[in-house]
Amino acid sequence: MNILRKIFSETGKFVEKGKPLSWAYPLWEAADTIFFSTNKQTSNGPHIRDNMDIKRTMFFVVIALIPCYVFGAYNIGYLNSLALGIEKGIIANTIFGLYYVLPILIITFIAGAICEITFAIVRKHEVNEGFLVSCALIPLTMPPDVPLWQVFVGTSFGIIIGKEIFGGVGTNIFNPALTSRAFMYFAFPTKISGDKVWTVGPDGYSGATALAVPANPAEYDTASNLYANVSQFDYSNLNLFWGLIPGSIGETNKLLILLGAFFLIYCGIASWRIMVSCVIGLVFTAVLFNLLSMFTVEGILASGGTPNAMLTLTPLQHILLGSFLFGTVFMATEPVTSSHTNTGRWIYGFLIGVLTVIIRSINPAYPEGVFLAILIMNMFAPLIDYYVVQSNIKMRLSRNA
Amino acid sequence: MHKIKVNKGHNINISGLSSREYSGAQNNKFVSITPLDFNYIKPKMIVKENDIVKMGDPIFFDKLNPEIKWPSIASGKISKIELGERRAIQKIIIEIDKNEESKIVPSKVDLSSREQVKDFISSKNMWPFITQRPFNKVVNPSDNPKSIIVSLVNSAPLSTDLSFTLDSQSEYVIAALSKLKKLTDGKLYVAVNKNEFSYLSSLDFVEVVEVEGPHPAGNIGVILNKIDPINANEVVWTVKGFHLPMLGKLFSKGYFDPSISINIAGPAVKPTYVKSRLGSSFAPLKNNLIIDNVRVISGDVLTGKQVSIDGFLGFYHSMFSIIEESFERPFIGWLHPGGKSKYSVFNAYFGSNKKSFNFTTLQNGSNRAFVPIDAWEKVFPMDIHINALARSIEANDIDEMEQLGIYECDEEDVALCSFVCPSKSDVGSIIRRGLDTIYFDQ
Repeated sequence: MNILRKIFSETGKFVEKGKPLSWAYPLWEAADTIFFSTNKQTSNGPHIRDNMDIKRTMFFVVIALIPCYVFGAYNIGYLNSLALGIEKGIIANTIFGLYYVLPILIITFIAGAICEITFAIVRKHEVNEGFLVSCALIPLTMPPDVPLWQVFVGTSFGIIIGKEIFGGVGTNIFNPALTSRAFMYFAFPTKISGDKVWTVGPDGYSGATALAVPANPAEYDTASNLYANVSQFDYSNLNLFWGLIPGSIGETNKLLILLGAFFLIYCGIASWRIMVSCVIGLVFTAVLFNLLSMFTVEGILASGGTPNAMLTLTPLQHILLGSFLFGTVFMATEPVTSSHTNTGRWIYGFLIGVLTVIIRSINPAYPEGVFLAILIMNMFAPLIDYYVVQSNIKMRLSRNA
Repeated sequence: MHKIKVNKGHNINISGLSSREYSGAQNNKFVSITPLDFNYIKPKMIVKENDIVKMGDPIFFDKLNPEIKWPSIASGKISKIELGERRAIQKIIIEIDKNEESKIVPSKVDLSSREQVKDFISSKNMWPFITQRPFNKVVNPSDNPKSIIVSLVNSAPLSTDLSFTLDSQSEYVIAALSKLKKLTDGKLYVAVNKNEFSYLSSLDFVEVVEVEGPHPAGNIGVILNKIDPINANEVVWTVKGFHLPMLGKLFSKGYFDPSISINIAGPAVKPTYVKSRLGSSFAPLKNNLIIDNVRVISGDVLTGKQVSIDGFLGFYHSMFSIIEESFERPFIGWLHPGGKSKYSVFNAYFGSNKKSFNFTTLQNGSNRAFVPIDAWEKVFPMDIHINALARSIEANDIDEMEQLGIYECDEEDVALCSFVCPSKSDVGSIIRRGLDTIYFDQ
């Protein structure tokens, strides 16, 4: 320990103000405070401070994501074995999956660190730990077979356009991880758009993802019946919950996502209001669409049209499908880009749920809508807050009158 | 009688609470008064170094409002006037002359009308004891305050227990309150803890407010926000609870007695109460320290001012808080699981904050851009969007500051927000900057 301490204090002399290497101070400071907590003192003002800091806040989100990584790796191996028709153990499957997950993870962190540190050096501020969370989130939203150069480009875009050009963590409008996901979705649609199955299998191996099944059915039926007829994967509700299905690396196992959610809520880092209201919004809209479908299907069939099978997805299926839970727990709750008032958070979450179902069901192009819903609501979060704050102002003005 | 219950807030479990007993009287040779304790004044000295002053004599006045003069808080000799940059007065140190002080004799005063009370306060130079909200400054005597509020609830960590120190002073507390009531057409609120100061409820000129809940429940800003909020162009006057006996003696016996009970508390000291006086020094209390490298704070750990080890008590302070100056750098501290060596209002440190904690001066993290994970809101009980208010202050938007209720806030009300803030922002200085902007814009 002492040796490490010494190394840092010795190297620190090279990056002091006025030295030729002083530009590298943010880099040195970041490394130094990762190993040894800062000994910064309080000045006047509160002389004592809570032990919670941004480093821990951000790192705890990363901790909450680790189980998703492990299961994601296992799932890649499992689905590969399934495609090849062979049996492998849990560990063998996980190791197989790690071959795909780790390179994506490493590339993401390299790209993210380059962007963050470059901006920290140019702007002369300390490296903000927020990029750790963004970089930990991005691989989980990727298909396992995504080309690594695309990951690099996508991550850089997300961190720079989603965050740095607005001034860095705390001042960004859009969630950087989602910005990068959206960029890749539109820039590299052949790999990312997600209507074909995302698994690592033999060449030519393909199939329909869970969301694509009711989106493009050969013949109209209710979603539940369509799922029952899929033989390639098990799309029962139970398995959708367990997550042994194709999908982005981190989104499939809902149990681990819920565990992550409870962990973050318990620690006071993520807002439970947003999570709950997202689900309420989703259930509300899904039920509305179920009713719509119930009353219109026969008429459409009678007139020779094809009814929209997406409308028959039950609320539970909507919750379990795709990356709704993942987005709700880890993306929508991002504190900077979501609403900052509690009332606002309820509205913000509710509308994410509503938009998710609308984009999934009614939009003919993309079967997945969570990340677009969250990005759209990121944009409206300041507006929601504005009206919440205005109501407080009106209350105060009326008291004064 | 009002009853208010504050839900949001936090009683910081800091070690070193003084038990309710005196460890003797402090023998003071010097006392000090500093103009820096008073916001928005331009002090001008009336006396010079080595002048002899009597208790209560004016020693400096406010150039912006010459009617307001500051009393000498001792009889004796002006031993030193410390000047800072651009000859700003930092500190006035008075050497106490015990013989002279013992000669003070009571006199009869008749204070039946508002004008008489005001004239009396002016003649005795006692206006600095009465401050106002908004802006937390010495009042303007010509104002007609909407109400007057006195909080006898010290909810800040380790702060003086007024039900103990004002025990047996009820005669003077009542005398002070009865005259203060004459200064307003509105109500005179007195905030108390449950089952304390029960004699107040029989007084018809006092509106007793029973306060329950964690800090900042005892702050007048929080209490006013719950019962009678301050709007634009309104002024509420207030007096510190521990000043009441002083004013009471002045109003009933006609002389100024600066003796107060103070406590010293905190993890780095043997906590205790001592009988002392206004503006006394920490120097005679030094042997109570249990470690060497300490920060001495006049006031509580949240809002107090750092003073030197021989420093003096601030005008509005009745306690010294002492904490260790720590330069420790724990290895990978942000990954620490928690336990007894950490304290957090968040659950992110497991098993922390159960027992009283030895806080040090460590900031426990670097300054970062603000990430709103609801930390401030957890401990801020007013119906004000503190986050939006802070942003309007950063944007210098005076209209919005007013609309969002800046007049109801003061630094002390948001001190806990700074305490919990993971980005280590100093919310108090943001609020002060907003108030300054408005004050100098008027």
